[in-house]
Amino acid sequence: MSKIEIKQKYYRPEGFENQFNEILTTYNKFLVVPGKKDEELEKRDFLYNRLKSKRKFYTKLNNPLTKVGIVVVLLVATWAFFAPWLSPYAFRLVAVKDPNSADYLPPSALHLFGTTKFGRDVLGRLVWGARASLSIGLVAIVISSVFGVIVGIISAYYGGILDSIIMRLVDIIMAFPGLVMIIIIVSIYGSNMSYIMLIYGILGIVGYARLIRGTALQEKSRTYVEAAKVSGSRDWRIMFTHILPNCITPVIVAVTFDIGGIILSLAGLSFLGFGDPRLVEWGTDINIAQRQIEYAPWAAFWPGFAILLAVLGFMLLGDGLRDALDPRLQEKN
Amino acid sequence: MSLLKYTIRRFLALIPILFGVLLITFVMTRALPGSPVLSAAGELRGESQAQYIAKLEERYGFNQPVLVQFVKYLRNLFSGDWGESLSVHRGATVAYLIGKAFPRTFEITILSMTLATVVGVNVGIISAVNRNKLKDTVIRFIALSGVAIPIFWLGLLLQYIFAFNFGWLPAGRYFSASLEDLEIITGLRLLDSLLLGKLDYFWDTILHLIMPVFCLAFVFIAGITRQTRSSMLEVLELDYVRTARAKGCKERDVIRKHAFRNALIPTITVVGLSFAGLLGGAVLTETTFTLHGMGWLVVAAINGVDYDIINASVFIMTIIFVTANLVIDLMYGIVDPRIRY
Repeated sequence: MSKIEIKQKYYRPEGFENQFNEILTTYNKFLVVPGKKDEELEKRDFLYNRLKSKRKFYTKLNNPLTKVGIVVVLLVATWAFFAPWLSPYAFRLVAVKDPNSADYLPPSALHLFGTTKFGRDVLGRLVWGARASLSIGLVAIVISSVFGVIVGIISAYYGGILDSIIMRLVDIIMAFPGLVMIIIIVSIYGSNMSYIMLIYGILGIVGYARLIRGTALQEKSRTYVEAAKVSGSRDWRIMFTHILPNCITPVIVAVTFDIGGIILSLAGLSFLGFGDPRLVEWGTDINIAQRQIEYAPWAAFWPGFAILLAVLGFMLLGDGLRDALDPRLQEKN
Repeated sequence: MSLLKYTIRRFLALIPILFGVLLITFVMTRALPGSPVLSAAGELRGESQAQYIAKLEERYGFNQPVLVQFVKYLRNLFSGDWGESLSVHRGATVAYLIGKAFPRTFEITILSMTLATVVGVNVGIISAVNRNKLKDTVIRFIALSGVAIPIFWLGLLLQYIFAFNFGWLPAGRYFSASLEDLEIITGLRLLDSLLLGKLDYFWDTILHLIMPVFCLAFVFIAGITRQTRSSMLEVLELDYVRTARAKGCKERDVIRKHAFRNALIPTITVVGLSFAGLLGGAVLTETTFTLHGMGWLVVAAINGVDYDIINASVFIMTIIFVTANLVIDLMYGIVDPRIRY
C-alpha cells in the first residue's frame, strides 16, 4: 500500500463532522441501536405484517375444497337472485298448477327433471326454492348473530347477577330438544314464512350469546381494556369498539356454518309438513313427493340434492374460513 | 370425595333447568290451537258437541288458569301419574305409550351409535394421519356431505333403491305385519326374540332396522370423523408424540396409545351429545321409516294437541340431554386423570 493510497483512505475532507451529523439525522432509522423504535419504520412494519396476514388468509382460502364451496354458494345465490330469469317456468305455473302437463311426468325435453304433483316442473321449483331457503336462512342468521353478540358481550362484560340470569336462560333453551320446540312454536303461531324466520332467529340467539361470552370473558381481562377504562371510555364504547372486533372471528365462522344448518333444519321442518304451504320450498317438495317415491323418484331426488348442495357449499366455505382465520392453526404452519 | 361433591352440585344445578323446561313446555302446549278433547267429541256437532267438550274440559281441568293446572301437573308428575293420552291413543296412559315407544328408539340408538363410533373414530384417525393427502381430502369431503345431507332424503333414496327397486329390504315399520306381537320382556325386539329363541323374529327385525340404522349412523359417522380428525391433528404436533417416536415406539402404538388417548375428549363430547339427541327420538328418520318411537310419538302428539304426551316426552328428552352432559363431564375425569373437579 503506497503512502498516497493510505492518505486517500484516511483523508478527512472539510466539514466531515457536519456530513456525519447529516447522515446521522437522515439515516437515523437504519442505525442499529438496541431498544430503539422509529415511528415511520414501525408503521411500515405494521402495514407489511397486515399485508402478510392478508396474503396468508387468501392462500389458506385457496384450497380446492374451499373453492368448491365458494362456487356452490355463489351458484345457489344466483338461483335465488335470478330465479325469474333462470327458471324455465313462471312462478305461477311452478307454485300453483300447470294446466298443460300431468302429475309426476318422467324427465323429458319439456321438463328436464320431470314434474311433481299438479304437473309442476321440478327444475322450476328447484330454482325458485333457493329463494325461500336462502332468505329464511339469511334473515334468521342476521337476527340471531346480531342479538346474540350484543347479549353475549353485555353478559360477559357486566358479569354478576345479570350474567348468571342470562346464562341460566341460555341453559334452559339449550336443554330443549330443538326441532320439537320449533314444531310446537310453529303450530302455535301458524306456519308463516315470517314467523319461521323469527323463530329460527330468536332460538339461534342463545348459541351466539354463549359463543361470544366465552371469548369476551378472556378479552375482558386484557390490558387494552384496562387502558380504555383508564382513559375514560364509556362501557358501551369499550364493549363494542374494543372487545367486539377481537372476538368476532368465531362468530363469522359460526354464521357460515349456521346458514347451512338452518337450511337443513328448515328442510326437515317442511318435510314433516310444518313449512309454509304457500312457499316453494325444497323440503315441502320432498314431503309432497315422498308418497310417490316408488313411481316418481325424480320428484323427491332433485329437491333433496339441492338441499345437500346448498348446505354442503356453506359448510365447505365455513371449514375454509375456520382454517384461514383460526390463529392457533396459523401459528403451527 | 370432591367428585361426589361435584356431582351433587351439578345435580342441584339441574333442578332450575328442568323446572324451566317443564314450565315453558306446559305454557306452550296450552297455547296450541285446538283442543285435545275435540277428537273425543267424535260425531257430535253443534250444541251437543260444545256441551260435551265443555264437560270433558271440566273433567280434565282445562278450564282452570294455566298456573293452577301446572301445579297440579307437577304434583301428578312426581307422584308417578303422567296423565293419559286424549287424541293419539285415546284411553292409554302416557307412561304406557312412552314405555312402548322408548325401547324402539333405544334399540336404534344403540345400534347406530355403536356403528358410528367405531367407524367414525377409525376413519378420523386415518384421515388425520394422512393429512392433506388424497385419502384425507376424500374422507373430509364424504364426512362433510354426511353432515350436510338431509337425513330424510337419504332415507327415501335408500327406500327407493333397496325396497322398491331391488325389493331386498322392507320399506318401513318395525316388523312385518304377518308376524304377531312378541311377548314383551325388555321391550327391545332384537333382545326379546333372542331370549325367546325365535330366530325368524330376530331376522325380521334386523331386516327392518338396517336402513334406519345405516341412515342415522352415516350422519353421525360424519360428525365423529370430523371431530376426531381435528383433535388428532392438534395432538399429533405436540412434543410428546415426537418423543414417543424417538424412543422407538411402533407408529401404531404412537397413534393409538399416545396420541389418540389425548385426543379423545372432544370425540367423547360429540358421541355423548349425539347419543342423547338420538335417545330423545330421531324425529325425521322415524317419520321416514314409519318407526313408532319417541320422535314419532311427540310429532303425533303435537299434531293431535295431546298435552300430556308432549309434556312428558319433552321432559324425558330434556332429562336425557342434561344427564348426558353431566355424564360426559364425569367421563373427562376418567379418560384424563389430570382433570380434577
